[in-house]
Amino acid sequence: MEIVQIVGLGFVVTLLILILRGQRPEIAVQLSITLATIIFLLVLAKIDVVLNLFRDLAEKASVNQLYLNTILKIIGIAYITEFGAQVCRDAGEGAVAGKIEFAGKVLVMVMAIPIIALVLETIVKLLP
Amino acid sequence: MSLDLLFKIAGVGILISVFHTALKQAGKEDMAHLCTLAGFTIVLFWVVQLLGQLFTTVQGVFKLY
Repeated sequence: MEIVQIVGLGFVVTLLILILRGQRPEIAVQLSITLATIIFLLVLAKIDVVLNLFRDLAEKASVNQLYLNTILKIIGIAYITEFGAQVCRDAGEGAVAGKIEFAGKVLVMVMAIPIIALVLETIVKLLP
Repeated sequence: MSLDLLFKIAGVGILISVFHTALKQAGKEDMAHLCTLAGFTIVLFWVVQLLGQLFTTVQGVFKLY
């Protein structure tokens, strides 16, 4: 029942942040960053198991490693971008959060370039 | 797990606000600001270490090299 632990932790930290926000907002922001990081770390251990299963399945189905690795990289970039943007938005800096999201989108697009090239190549091969 | 870090940060925050108020009442404004800065730096040190750990883990899990 790890979810109960995480929800309880969230409640406790929310109350602590409420106490601190009135007097020391900068420490409150750091507290919320720490909570987000700890919950991410707790969940990432579980995601690792699922991803290993995906890798095994892809190997059995003889899917090209390039596709799976690209998708995993894109998911990782999306996770980190979302994390950073949320922290900035929590601290009231919507503009910085927007820039972080923009950078994340561009990097995801760059990651997808090899797959787009492969799709175009396949289409060109299919054409007479 | 590093759950005690959360309570350490909250404790430092409450302690800093108490010190800040006490020093301000005593008329030592500059000392109060230095105290706030010191506490902020200590907490930032912990947070940056934790963030580094998080990013290393994410890179390991998603093979983002």
